[in-house]
Amino acid sequence: MNPLTRLRRRGFGLLHIYVGLLLVFLFLPLVVLIVFSFSSSGQLRFPITGLSLRWYREVFANSTVTDGIVASLTVAAVTGAVVTVIGTMAAMVVNRYPFRGASVVSGVILAPAALPGLVIGIALLNFFGDLHVTLSLLTVTVGHIIYTLPYFYLVLSARLRKFDPMLEEAATDLGAGPVQRFRKVTAPLIAPAIIASAFVVLALSWDEFQITFFTIGDQSTLPLVIWSRARLSIDPSVNAIGTLMVAGSLLVVIFTRRFITESYS
Amino acid sequence: MGIGQSVLTKPRRPARRRMRGAGARRGILLLLLPLGVALSLGFVLPLVLLFVKSFQTSLGYGQVSGHLTFSAYVTAVTSPLYRTVALNALEIGGIGTVLTLLLSFPLAYFIRFRLRRAQHTILLLIMISLFAGYIVKIYAWTTILGTYGLINTALAQIGLIDHPLSVLLFSKIAVLIVVTYLSIPVSTLILVGAMQNVDRGLIENARDLGAGGIRAVTSVLVPLSSTGIVASLAYGFVVISGDYITPQLVGGTTGQMIGVPISDQFLNIGDQPLGSALSFLMLAVFALVYFGLTRLERFKGV
Repeated sequence: MNPLTRLRRRGFGLLHIYVGLLLVFLFLPLVVLIVFSFSSSGQLRFPITGLSLRWYREVFANSTVTDGIVASLTVAAVTGAVVTVIGTMAAMVVNRYPFRGASVVSGVILAPAALPGLVIGIALLNFFGDLHVTLSLLTVTVGHIIYTLPYFYLVLSARLRKFDPMLEEAATDLGAGPVQRFRKVTAPLIAPAIIASAFVVLALSWDEFQITFFTIGDQSTLPLVIWSRARLSIDPSVNAIGTLMVAGSLLVVIFTRRFITESYS
Repeated sequence: MGIGQSVLTKPRRPARRRMRGAGARRGILLLLLPLGVALSLGFVLPLVLLFVKSFQTSLGYGQVSGHLTFSAYVTAVTSPLYRTVALNALEIGGIGTVLTLLLSFPLAYFIRFRLRRAQHTILLLIMISLFAGYIVKIYAWTTILGTYGLINTALAQIGLIDHPLSVLLFSKIAVLIVVTYLSIPVSTLILVGAMQNVDRGLIENARDLGAGGIRAVTSVLVPLSSTGIVASLAYGFVVISGDYITPQLVGGTTGQMIGVPISDQFLNIGDQPLGSALSFLMLAVFALVYFGLTRLERFKGV
């Protein structure tokens, strides 16, 4: 083997090792979390001495966590529905029927993604305070809508740009009116993209913490439940709640993998 | 998710499809109306009100006076209380962002150019890591970095240390590790998105012309994916420097960042004008960084 190919082959091997190590780095905390959630000990120490489901029993012993799950799902569902409707309308207009000022509209929609959650959170808290609005899951939902809109818009726009406008023109040429054209041609073609974008919104909302922290009222979402337990002391039940959260995200990602990976091919 | 891709390309506008006439304009306005209402009421107006608040003065107990002054900004800039945490935010943001890019770039390259069928599996793994939960992931790191955590136990087992290293948790290093960890998935997705438009053949050509593997990447791939690199750096800097939760959970006394005192002013009965002024100063720095990065990219003549 000449030295050049040997070098190249070694470089190839090094990259593989590097990627493997990085994936370990990315998943190590999650593996540790899941392992500890099944530990029988109350101390988060290595090595683990025994296995049990006591932390899961503890999690469901009172309603705090289940209430949190219900609150998170409610907020995510309402956010998903609202963002899907207004986001689809906007993305369609900007990407399909370009008009003067379309890039300005794009910029405004994307602006919330360029700000840290902290600033959006305190701005909303200050706003609701000025209006004397009581903080509740409704105010949380407002924050989530603003936060997720840019991502919905980005994911959907990326897909809409691959859409062939000739198909719509063909429908028009064949005598379809605007409503029929949308129902029979446009909607079926863009539906997968809309579903994929909507699931991104659900995942982001389910996970959102930094804005929710300021807009939350008496009812806590799941991430806030975790925060209130993790902040005060070492509470091993957090591992069990965390594992449930990871499982929830895993389900969403796996369910939408076809839609998501398609945007990369 | 195509984040990188779509940030960078403007909406295509074929002239022949441009809608004309009053009816079309009314249709466009009608479709944009719900979005306009949501963004004006939920985003623009709250930001404007927060900006106004930054020019008011606190009277204590959450009350503010209506007079507009620069006093909150003067306090924010002159008070030594905020200087350390602001510098910390710049330092952790700067190092964390660059570290994130350096760690994500080879992974993105690997996903885009070295994998074919396994590409989707690795993207899926990155998505799972991304959506595993912000607060969950930070919490998980406390069990790894803690006194009896994974790292200390492992180091003690090998016999490298006698006493647990306390600097691992509740320190600036801990914040840096966690924020980098949190940023890698998004950065990787942005970079993979940007590399989608780069032709595989160009890198192979550079190699055939005698460039080594790393040189082929730095001289061909880096310039061609520079928009993704800038997007990753800009997004990472905002997310890392504006993080106010990670410092509270793993930062101890040395790893605090500017977001923590800002959030404090709004949570308890704090000085809200001061909190507003601090956050707009932070946004000004973000804007400067973004401007600098885009100038740098253009300057490189890409």
